[in-house]
Amino acid sequence: MSPKDQSATNDLTPLSPAIFHILLSLGEGERHGYAIKREISARTQGKLKLGPGVLYGSINKMLELGLIEESDERPDPHLDDERRRYYRITAYGRKAAQAEAVRMRELVQLAAARFGAPRHA
Amino acid sequence: MRDRSFSGRVYRWLLRLYPPGFRENYSGPMEKEFRDEVGEASGPLALASFWVRLIADLAVSVPAQLSREVIQDAKHTLRLWSKRPWHAGFAIAALAIGIGANTGVFSVVEALLLRSLPFQEPGRLVLLHQFIPPHDSAKQFHDWRKQSTYLADAVLFEEIDLNLDAVRGVTRAHVAQTSGNFFSMLGAKLFLGQGFDPEDDVDAPGVGLPGRNAVAVISYRLWQQLFGGDPKVLGATIKINGSPLTVVGVAPAGFDYPNQAALWKPAAFSPGNNGWGTIARLKPGISWSQARAAFAVEAEQRSPEPPATDEFSLRPNMSSLQDGLAGPFKNASLMFMGAVLLVLLIACTNIANLLIARTADRAAELSLRSALGASRARLARQLLVECLLLSLVAALAGLLVADWTTSLAAKVQPPPLGAQSYSLLDGRVLAFTLTMTLVTPLMFGLLPLLYIRRIHAFPTQTSSATSGSRWVRESLVVAQVMLTVILLAGSVSLGRAFIQLMRIDRGYDVNGVVTVSVSLDGTTYQMNKRQLPYFEQVLDRIRRLPGVRAASATEFLPLYASSFVGGPFGLDGRPAKRSSSMVPVMSGYFQTMGGRILRGREFTDAEVRSGAKVAVVNERFAAGFGAPEEAVGHQLTIGNETPWKVIGVVKGTEYETDPTTASGNQVFIPSVSPGSFSSTFVARVDGRAQDHLAMVRDAIQSVDPRVPVFSVKTMQQRLDEIFVAPRFYRTAIWLFAGFALLLAVIGIYGIVSHAVVQRTQELGIRIALGRTPAQLRTMLLFQGLLIVLMGAVLGIVGACLTGRFLETVISGARTVDWETAVSLVLFLSLVASLSIWSATRRIAGLDVTSILRSE
Repeated sequence: MSPKDQSATNDLTPLSPAIFHILLSLGEGERHGYAIKREISARTQGKLKLGPGVLYGSINKMLELGLIEESDERPDPHLDDERRRYYRITAYGRKAAQAEAVRMRELVQLAAARFGAPRHA
Repeated sequence: MRDRSFSGRVYRWLLRLYPPGFRENYSGPMEKEFRDEVGEASGPLALASFWVRLIADLAVSVPAQLSREVIQDAKHTLRLWSKRPWHAGFAIAALAIGIGANTGVFSVVEALLLRSLPFQEPGRLVLLHQFIPPHDSAKQFHDWRKQSTYLADAVLFEEIDLNLDAVRGVTRAHVAQTSGNFFSMLGAKLFLGQGFDPEDDVDAPGVGLPGRNAVAVISYRLWQQLFGGDPKVLGATIKINGSPLTVVGVAPAGFDYPNQAALWKPAAFSPGNNGWGTIARLKPGISWSQARAAFAVEAEQRSPEPPATDEFSLRPNMSSLQDGLAGPFKNASLMFMGAVLLVLLIACTNIANLLIARTADRAAELSLRSALGASRARLARQLLVECLLLSLVAALAGLLVADWTTSLAAKVQPPPLGAQSYSLLDGRVLAFTLTMTLVTPLMFGLLPLLYIRRIHAFPTQTSSATSGSRWVRESLVVAQVMLTVILLAGSVSLGRAFIQLMRIDRGYDVNGVVTVSVSLDGTTYQMNKRQLPYFEQVLDRIRRLPGVRAASATEFLPLYASSFVGGPFGLDGRPAKRSSSMVPVMSGYFQTMGGRILRGREFTDAEVRSGAKVAVVNERFAAGFGAPEEAVGHQLTIGNETPWKVIGVVKGTEYETDPTTASGNQVFIPSVSPGSFSSTFVARVDGRAQDHLAMVRDAIQSVDPRVPVFSVKTMQQRLDEIFVAPRFYRTAIWLFAGFALLLAVIGIYGIVSHAVVQRTQELGIRIALGRTPAQLRTMLLFQGLLIVLMGAVLGIVGACLTGRFLETVISGARTVDWETAVSLVLFLSLVASLSIWSATRRIAGLDVTSILRSE
């Protein structure tokens, strides 16, 4: 990571939960919006349900920031609807997610030092 | 595949709430998802909860997306501005001055004309001008007001400055003696006490009798000052001119009608006292036109039409109390409102011009962008955001201008009532400013916005769009020149009126005169009838001061025409055509004031001391009876009084401030009991009058420090105070006109230099074909001047129309004449030529070969 990228990703943190979760989803591979949303809902046991406005608002912002990019390839033309758009994470997006994870880890370590580690998370 | 179900249509409709850019990119996937989710939702409960979540999502994300795009546009705007800081700074400054001045002037208009007076049903209160109802006795007046067919009630009041015994010596207080129904007619509830009523009015000369009449209602402020707000003030005694008055009430806070009065007392009626003002309340159910008609009939009966030769008599008339209070300020304020609106309009045309020029420069880029999919709406919004941001920043900066304007206005034309103080923190004023802030961007943004539509409609025909913009811009410059000419003509007109006002022959020499007012009311001198010896003693001391050439005293100083006495004086029993004012003066008065004695002489010390029946008359009075000089030796008569022998004729001394009502008949008599009203010592000194003020004042106080001394001023200062408003109007209009001229010059420069850039190729070809740069510059000069001339001609027409209005508003203002109009146009053409010539200087340096190569 170049020092410039380093400082840029640090400027982005803390990421909003929606953005971080979207990055997590796209970390596994390309997804369209609806798939991202369902995956996040499943991952959080339904606690984080992104509405379409918030979802695409976040995606729009992430595209502009260069965290993700639109993918031209359609995985399965038969199943696909032309209106679906697929997204994939960029290298910069990965770095931002890493930076956010580091930030969270430091926070967790601080909390553990101060309050003790919980018996079960 | 489109969702044709009802819910699908609803959602599609809701998606329109998003900004277009976002919608273009994401409405497809969002609709698709919507269909999927609706399909998955089983049962009405799930569907309902889905919709609730959907609405919540919209509520969060729509504002977020909108503000995101607006912020982007705002950032874009700031980048544009930082690239051309001078352009942006100029636009903001011009708008700030425009909006600020408008807000400031509007706050004055609001206070004077729109804010309701602090009285009960103020819209039904009227002021009767040049009309006093029967007032020889209290009974006569009260009988009159009770029998009126169109007035529910009426009040008489007389204002006078009197000596008030305060904690620290004697001060002057503005006192109103009013008919007993004053507070009840206005519907003002006293803060403390019962006040007085009509039974407290008496028939007596002066300011009243002991007993029921010797009571007073004091102002809230005076109550705080004299009694520290003591609630047990009722029954306390205060001394006015040495006589005790019992306090029977405290007026509500802020109540100061008329003219910042500090104290009100029941009226004392006496025949011949014509100092009364009249206000009244219309009967319920009577319309204004009915009331006016009834009043006209009554006024006609009581004071028949004066002889037509008398141009100085004003006819009785009825106005609303609000208009009456605003008086001449009403027209002045409206005139200013018009002037500042013109300035704002000019600023708007200028900014519109600037924006169109820039948009034209970006035409290629914009048409490219619109081809790439940036929607027209998006471009338009970007421009709109820029316009709004411009006016918002300007409005904030304008608040400073407005605040300055308001405080200046308060100095120049103080509000007639405390409750009418000018304020920016007023609902109406704030609403006005907000409207200005929102409307001005439309005024200067509309044309550029329309221009954007053209670009989009004909993306390939940039040249046609450009020539279209040139046409629009030239029209804007025409409009701008027109408005500027109107303002310039107005400023010339006002300037002339002011010069005329200043050049009036006042009949005395204002330079080198020191004036100090005193009042002997309530002092031992008055009680023992020793006023004259006091005045002689003071004059003796002043005359012996170093640097004093002459000294005298008068009971009415020029410029202070209020509370005049006078009457139907005549010569040898023949009455003059109109009544004369009477000015008692001491010896050497005309010598001191620098007056001109046309024939005869003025009073001697001995004549004043002995109260000799001699008089000096002014030229106008004497002219009513033949050659003015021949009046000397004749008898000045009035009623059955012992006549005065006329010993001198003087050039009229200007007592009025308004030239149209000035120079009435004046008679001067020896002052036998000076010290009342506004008695003033005057001294003519060597050198600067200011340097002698303290010395003269100390000399007066050295005779008796208990006599209140006030208004220690040079005559020039008094004159300046009186003319502060007209002087200010003139200066302000000149500033506005200068500002407008600057804007116009910048506008002309902008359009010509832009034309040079746009026509570079054409000009290059012309040079290649043998034209010299000077010839081309001359061509552009004439083309530019044509635009200026068109605007100027329209402006002259506008100036003639507004000039008529100015004539009615400002006394002495005249519509522009042809000489002025022509010189204005020449002046403007000259300034415009300089501007055009410097804007075309690039042509001289054009590199023809490189232009042709690029072609």
